[in-house]
Amino acid sequence: MAKFDLNDDSVAVIIGSGAGGGTLANELAQRGIKSVVLEAGKRFGLEDIENDEWAMFQKISWLDKRYSGGGWHGAVNHPTLPTWIVKGYGGSTIHWAGVALRFKDFEFKTRTTYGAIDGANVEDWPIDLEEMIPWYEKAELKMGVTGKTTGMPHLPWNNGFRVLAEGCRRTGRSDYRSGPMAINSVERDGRPACQQIGFCMQGCAIGAKWSTMYTELPRAEETGNCEVRTEAMVLKVEHDDAGKVNAVVYADKDGNQHRQKARIVCVAGNSIESPRLLLNSASSMFPDGLANSSGQVGKNYMNHTTGGVYAVMPEKVHMYRGTSVAGIVGDEVYHDPKRGFSGGYYLEFLSLGLPFMAAFLEPGNTGWGRSVARALEGYDRMSGVWVLGEDLAQERNAITLHPTEKDQYGLPVPIVSKTPHNNDYEMTAHMYETSAEIYEAVGATDVYELPAYPATHNMGTNRMHADPDKGVVNAYGQAHDIANLFVSDGSQFTSSAACNPTLTIVALAIRQAEYIAQEMNARNI
Amino acid sequence: MTIRFHRLSQSREDRAGMSRRMFLMTTTLAGITTGTLLGRASLAQGAGLGEAESARLLRMVQDIYPHPDLLQIAHYQAIVDAVVSNADDDAFAALQDGLARIEAKAQELFGVPYTDIEDPDAREGLLRHFQNEGFFQNVRWTAYFGIYNNKEIWPLFGYEGSSVEYGGYINRGFSDITFVPPGPTLEERLAEVQK
Ligand SMILES: Cc1cc2nc3c(=O)[nH]c(=O)nc-3n(C[C@H](O)[C@H](O)[C@H](O)COP(=O)(O)OP(=O)(O)OC[C@H]3O[C@@H](n4cnc5c(N)ncnc54)[C@H](O)[C@@H]3O)c2cc1C
Ligand code: SF4
Repeated sequence: MAKFDLNDDSVAVIIGSGAGGGTLANELAQRGIKSVVLEAGKRFGLEDIENDEWAMFQKISWLDKRYSGGGWHGAVNHPTLPTWIVKGYGGSTIHWAGVALRFKDFEFKTRTTYGAIDGANVEDWPIDLEEMIPWYEKAELKMGVTGKTTGMPHLPWNNGFRVLAEGCRRTGRSDYRSGPMAINSVERDGRPACQQIGFCMQGCAIGAKWSTMYTELPRAEETGNCEVRTEAMVLKVEHDDAGKVNAVVYADKDGNQHRQKARIVCVAGNSIESPRLLLNSASSMFPDGLANSSGQVGKNYMNHTTGGVYAVMPEKVHMYRGTSVAGIVGDEVYHDPKRGFSGGYYLEFLSLGLPFMAAFLEPGNTGWGRSVARALEGYDRMSGVWVLGEDLAQERNAITLHPTEKDQYGLPVPIVSKTPHNNDYEMTAHMYETSAEIYEAVGATDVYELPAYPATHNMGTNRMHADPDKGVVNAYGQAHDIANLFVSDGSQFTSSAACNPTLTIVALAIRQAEYIAQEMNARNI
Repeated sequence: MTIRFHRLSQSREDRAGMSRRMFLMTTTLAGITTGTLLGRASLAQGAGLGEAESARLLRMVQDIYPHPDLLQIAHYQAIVDAVVSNADDDAFAALQDGLARIEAKAQELFGVPYTDIEDPDAREGLLRHFQNEGFFQNVRWTAYFGIYNNKEIWPLFGYEGSSVEYGGYINRGFSDITFVPPGPTLEERLAEVQK
């Protein structure tokens, strides 16, 4: 691995090593562009992966102080855990389940499709599906996504998904399959085929699932163009008198501060930390935070309209055996205002282990007693889904800084506020109804509805917009206000779409790398 | 029967209990594990509580997660021991005070000691009065870890836990149920992804 001097001002500094940052680092490295990746978490490897829900949660989660705010149930039930995000080499791609769906056409054009919606801040992306298709294909080849682009078959169906699929068949649905997943169904790209271990969301112990931990990051390091510094928490992005960013200040594991100079800075700390960092980097020239002339930094926080449904079947299912997200139902992903809400939603089969099931079945102080205990006795007969759908951007859903409380680095603690829109309530009711109908068709004896989990999909807090007054970055993730500052993670999203975000994060990072190379060659940055 | 748990509305009591809960959820999520809980417990063996208090606490953990057909008294006793041995002075005082108030409420509502109330729903209803309090949630989360995060208990719920050391479930029943049709064959799955 390369080593760069703190005073080397020719490097790109990338903050965060997850889906966005890890991919960008490798793409730049392969193009011969030098970078320093600063990652707040530790260096993990396959040997650190355990098949144990709480052990892995404890080992790799981002547990720095954070507060939940707004009107969602988590403000009460998960007051210090608004999100479930990883802090480590590989970021949340260690935990992620591997679902790799593309946006639909209309989901890039939500303002045009849905129209103006009261209380929401819905806008169109400055890009469309047609333009994204080649980038999606590159991302699918890179990540090894089952489906037509790679020719890799989707995964075999496990018990839990077979129950869901049969319910879909009996209720006249047609779009249910065991992919696209960024999980090898055959050996590919130096990684083995899935062994149906389960525990995908605790990290894949054999590396069948794509993660930047064992693909992009080591490959970037091998080129000699990329240095990854772990346990390096970036505190502030600095700029020169001309208003161009020129360095970042970070704390190492002993709390010592260092200043790394930079030619460009790419922020990819996930949608809470990225806007927080820009806000914390306020200066006399940029009193509201970097890149924030639109006032949109930290606003429009989206995390999908979600819930869970678990159904108890008449016979054993053992849903935890095999891939955690073993199948996807796409029949409900369309926009029809007659349903009473805008946008669509997916049902994704999701197995939880007994510990997480018992914690999330009824979160909060009331989740005990006879009904909960009885439900858990049906654990081995359960199949279930995670439902996720379009979450409309709203200005009040935001990352803000706590007025007095500081974290271990002396930085204001972030408050993550989320209040559902009426659209969410309508959609969630529909999701629960659909899921129950499907499971009842296969003979479910009980159906349990779970409220949203701490958010795993976080988007929108530095959004793209063609108009610099309405968004933070342009179509390449480049800050409207500062040409050599980029946003390279899911905080760029203008809308959430119904699907999981990571394929789109990776596609955008590949596209951004090409743009950065071109702009550097042209000496524009 | 279809049971549905709906979105919880935020009561006044919930808000009041919040700061305490923040602390509790943090300790919970920051990972008190059963290993450490039960490990320390075995040293202390429930020392500190009187006989009647111990009996009340034992009844309480059984009422919090009642699995009379699945678990033995010994499983619950281990949780009682863990609650006691984990408690610092403040937590221990809060526990004793809480148990006393549960007892008083039982007398007030039913005119009998808590442990003598026969109807399990009545006992649960009684405990619901205390569910937003710190001592209660402390007992509750200790019981949670002692039961649902306890590898020795998992098989009783039909959960098999870690599988990587056995080569996953690929040859161990990941797709073995017979009450619904099998999934598509490899040939069918391959055909589906041809361009
Ligand atoms: C359990 C789980 C399941 C998921 N399943 C799916 C799925 O099936 N499909 C899907 O599409 N998505 C899934 N996701 C979401 C997916 O993981 C994220 O969308 C994706 O990883 C986000 O990429 P990112 O680059 O924005 O951030 P991350 O991958 O979270 O990486 C951010 C990194 O930045 C670091 N960082 C933050 N701030 C700083 C700082 N100031 N200085 C230095 N480093 C910093 C963090 O430590 C972290 O490592 C899942 C997530 C979880 C948690
Ligand atoms: S089921 Fe497959 S992808 Fe998931 S952890 Fe196991 S081997 Fe990895």
